[in-house]
Amino acid sequence: MSAAPGLLRGKSPGLTLARRSLALILLCLLLLPFADLRVIAVDPWGELWRMAQGFAWPDFLALENPLRAIALTVSVALWGTFIGALVGFPLALLFHHSRLIRGFCAFVRAIHELFWALLFIQVFGLSAVTALAALAIPYAGIFAKVYAEILELTPRAPTDALPNGVDRLSRFLYAELPLVWDRLASYTRYRFECAMRASVLLGFVGLPTLGFYLESAFRESRFGEAGALLWIFYALIATLQWWGHRRLLPVLLIGALFFLGPWPEVDSDLLWRFVSHDLWPAPLLDGDLAGLGEWVTSLPDLLPAIGNTLLLALMGTVGSLILALVLWPLASRHFGRPWQRVGGRLVLVVLRSTPELMLAFIFLLMLGPSMLPAWLALALHNGALIAFLVARHADGLKTGMTDLPATGRYAYELLPRLYPNLLALICYRAEVIMRETALLGMLGVATLGFYIDSSFQYLMFDQAFFLLLVTAVLNIGIDAISRRFRPREVPLDDPCSR
Amino acid sequence: MALLTFDSVDLGYGTQIVLPALTLTLEAGERVALLGQSGAGKSTLLAEIRRRLGKAAAWCPQGHGLVPLLSVYHNVYMGQLERHAALANLFNLLRPRRGAWQAIETLTHELGLEGLLRRPVEQLSGGQRQRVAIARAFYQQREIFLGDEPLASVDPHQALRLLERIQTRHSSSIIALHQHRLALAYFDRIIGLRDGHVVLDAPARELTLSQLDALYPDAGNSSHEDRAATTT
Repeated sequence: MSAAPGLLRGKSPGLTLARRSLALILLCLLLLPFADLRVIAVDPWGELWRMAQGFAWPDFLALENPLRAIALTVSVALWGTFIGALVGFPLALLFHHSRLIRGFCAFVRAIHELFWALLFIQVFGLSAVTALAALAIPYAGIFAKVYAEILELTPRAPTDALPNGVDRLSRFLYAELPLVWDRLASYTRYRFECAMRASVLLGFVGLPTLGFYLESAFRESRFGEAGALLWIFYALIATLQWWGHRRLLPVLLIGALFFLGPWPEVDSDLLWRFVSHDLWPAPLLDGDLAGLGEWVTSLPDLLPAIGNTLLLALMGTVGSLILALVLWPLASRHFGRPWQRVGGRLVLVVLRSTPELMLAFIFLLMLGPSMLPAWLALALHNGALIAFLVARHADGLKTGMTDLPATGRYAYELLPRLYPNLLALICYRAEVIMRETALLGMLGVATLGFYIDSSFQYLMFDQAFFLLLVTAVLNIGIDAISRRFRPREVPLDDPCSR
Repeated sequence: MALLTFDSVDLGYGTQIVLPALTLTLEAGERVALLGQSGAGKSTLLAEIRRRLGKAAAWCPQGHGLVPLLSVYHNVYMGQLERHAALANLFNLLRPRRGAWQAIETLTHELGLEGLLRRPVEQLSGGQRQRVAIARAFYQQREIFLGDEPLASVDPHQALRLLERIQTRHSSSIIALHQHRLALAYFDRIIGLRDGHVVLDAPARELTLSQLDALYPDAGNSSHEDRAATTT
């Protein structure tokens, strides 16, 4: 007779993953005391109640000219995605051949859309160029990477069947592109949904999209108006499959041109001065190395900011993991009654459709400025997104023993099959969470984003640009770490999780 | 006249040798059936024959190798992709070339695919896809037909008709298949492979069904056509 193995002892892949996840959660718990999680607001529940009222009784009549904001939001998202795809596609073809291109793409997608917007506002003002560039540039990098991954999986059989001597372009057009077209299209569609959220967010830096009106309505406690705007946004996302139909796209793209604006008058001298001079530390341009040391000491204290950024990213990732584990049964056919599932699915869709910054902003008004609202927003948004994907995966599985109780089904039948995939999704998502963490600084949480935002406000572009570079490097680092941590050979890799 | 000669050659992929020390001569004008279990080395041998014959042979691969999203017309057109400039091929995706359209329409008529020219291949049945793959090989217009189980997913009656078409259009053919009766009745020569070795090589008229069945020791009573369908 042998003794039963001790707690978490064993070599099965499930136990390995469980140990890894528990270590991550433990690390997060150990570091939690260093996070600033105070509730500063006086009456958080009253505030929440008033917001909920505004959401339940939206005041559509108070909106001034919402159509213009809607049209601009959609137009920016459409053209931002379109230009991003147009640039990203050729980059994807070269992606695996050129280290330079891979590095470039990693860099542009490591910086959040809003930071690109802050950068371009300095040159192009609150204009359509700023909005489009803010979306198109990071999206080009993302498209390049994901398209390249999809193209890599092209089935080889049709190419092998071709006669000898077919030129490269014909081979690509006939025997490669059509085989992956559906996946490319569905990813582009998902990215467009992200672009809609990002386009709303551009309102937070002053571009007159839906987010602009949302922010002012929330800030001035006009919750009925805010509720109405949120409803409009959810309606737009929910009806996307109809108004964003493939056949309507050319019409939409052309129509959108009429709503994009204003177009800036670009002063090329100013632009050149900005790129060649303003963005760089003056001592560096003068070749004054001693001065450079002084410049570095004039930077704000970066270590706490970096620490906060990393801590928040860790907390966000662990929070998403736990929430995803709890939430996915809400939307799965293996649990609950049909009407409960409809409700669960609705909650998840609303949570994942709301831009994280928006969620954080709402929690911030409720709880006051600390890391708590940021954490809640990151965990809820990403947890719901992953829960939704996991539920979809679970619905494709068949359980062997039908009459197990719900906990048995969860723990013995489903979770062991879903967990590697869930953890892989979390690892993919860690990069996104990191990017958003930096962004939440714009709401006053003392992450890197806070200093970037204030550097731009004080017109210290060299400092802002340097901090952006630091953010990008951190992001690329986190991406590399999560890639090592990620379980290998996962059955389902959904590009729509990135 | 010898079409191809293998003189104690090792064939395989990379460092893995599938057919060691192969010695074999194929004659021009011959109709050769390749028999053997899955994994016996038929595909490896056909791939090497295809490589050596180059542009002299039309090729009909195992599992069809079709592009599901493209129409029947475009899939068949791919048989002559190398004969046109890239721009012409690009334009053909948007608007079919008139000459090619007519030639392919005649071909598909012959193979019982009339009226399906515009239909995406993903909407076709298994048997129809098989015939599209054969049409594409015909459209290559070569002297020699090379096929890796081109009759795997059609019923015996159709297989016979398709085989007749293949042989009237090509002076030589080398075809891997699992239908033993067809092999005996419609080929000049039968080559049997087992575990990477040629264990049978004789004129078809000198062979019997039971000799061919001996090539499949693991099969028991199950039908060969069934297994062929599952491997494709």
